[in-house]
Amino acid sequence: MTAPQKGSFEVLMKIKDVIAVLNAEVLSGENRLEEEVKWVGAADMMSDVLSLGRPGMVILTGNNSLQALRSSVVTEILALVLIRNKPVGPEVIEFAKKNNFILLRTAHYLFATCGKLYQQGFRGIDEKPD
Amino acid sequence: MKSRIDLGKYASLFQDLKASEIMTKRVISLGPEKKMAQAKEMMKIKRISGIPIVDDKHHLLGLISIQDIIVALEFNRIKEPVKSMMATELITIKTDDSLMEIVGKFERFKYGRFPVVDEKNKLCGIISREDIMHGVLERFNLIHTHDAKRRLKLEGDHSLVTGQDLDPEAASFHFVIDTSDVNSAGTGSALLKQFVGGKGIPAETARRVGISCYEAETNVVIHSKGRGEIYCFLFEDSIIVRVVDNGIGIEDIEKAMKEGFSTAPDYIRELGFGAGMGLVNMKRFADKLVVFSEKNVGTQVEMMFFLEREKPEKPKPEIPQEPIDILF
Repeated sequence: MTAPQKGSFEVLMKIKDVIAVLNAEVLSGENRLEEEVKWVGAADMMSDVLSLGRPGMVILTGNNSLQALRSSVVTEILALVLIRNKPVGPEVIEFAKKNNFILLRTAHYLFATCGKLYQQGFRGIDEKPD
Repeated sequence: MKSRIDLGKYASLFQDLKASEIMTKRVISLGPEKKMAQAKEMMKIKRISGIPIVDDKHHLLGLISIQDIIVALEFNRIKEPVKSMMATELITIKTDDSLMEIVGKFERFKYGRFPVVDEKNKLCGIISREDIMHGVLERFNLIHTHDAKRRLKLEGDHSLVTGQDLDPEAASFHFVIDTSDVNSAGTGSALLKQFVGGKGIPAETARRVGISCYEAETNVVIHSKGRGEIYCFLFEDSIIVRVVDNGIGIEDIEKAMKEGFSTAPDYIRELGFGAGMGLVNMKRFADKLVVFSEKNVGTQVEMMFFLEREKPEKPKPEIPQEPIDILF
């Protein structure tokens, strides 16, 4: 990928950039990799996803339950990234595919996952204006 | 340990009290093909010590107790269907058995609870020692004064927000929540969101409806220990969503409204729920919220969404600014 300028809010970053930075595996939503990422967040509590998640946001999580997917789809976030290569049940992938939802998985742990994305210029909703 | 109250001594005072009056009507049951592991999870989540097994017509087939679960765990039979391990020779109570007969069974068989069936062996309820005590106390009018007005409110077909008539039959959307499976929580809300989206409702409103309803629906599954339903009414300028259940009710609504307050068990927290944000989130995403709850009768959550209020994406403040309307 072309490295975006650090800390810049203007650089257009896409799902495929997230995949490159995290060396992530695409479990669902292969046809949506060109979509723009506006924010990144991390949450394991689904109520946090429901209250803070929004369209254009990528959420990093260790929560591999079907509920995590449902919350994500209802909230209309852009993508969910599972950390630490967490196992994913077939029903979870099936649900993601049915909703054409972007589900990614990386081997990195949460801290490193956050750090790598931050380093590339991705920001959360507390730092980046709408 | 204190000795148990001699129930027989008082039974004659309440001869006309029938099983159907004192039984718990909300019984959590399972089909015969469900796995022992599911029965175990259900007992853990719902904190119950026995589950009646019924066929699809609700006829009583057997009973799974904690002892059966222990045996299943010990002998690695937890993946077997419940029908292979359930007790099938059951002592049951009939709906019109008198208190005397019921107490007799408790004294004789020493079980903690008995399933209640009708003449066709259909499961109607369950009776524990506690139910008997409640039934008797109720007779004495000690714990429950019948509040006609309150009952009317909870069973009435009018809006808690606007007072207008809301006939459940006339709802544009209706969904029965499956409270037996935590993993299915949210199904109704996803369908509702799809439904309102298909009605030409602006995307941001559909999103707010979906999120609020999702929180309410998971509450019913996790906490109510009853059955629940989702109704949606579409109007020209607003949407009303009602999520109702006949479960245990909310003990303290003001507490429940506080951010971070939760009574969810660990199992639920592992799924990412129980952050104590449910009602807070509903309040945030709905334009009007009324919660009405009565202990052991049920909870009604009614949310209203105004259609003209389509604003650019700007979340409301984290902490609700005004208290919600609470009706007791």
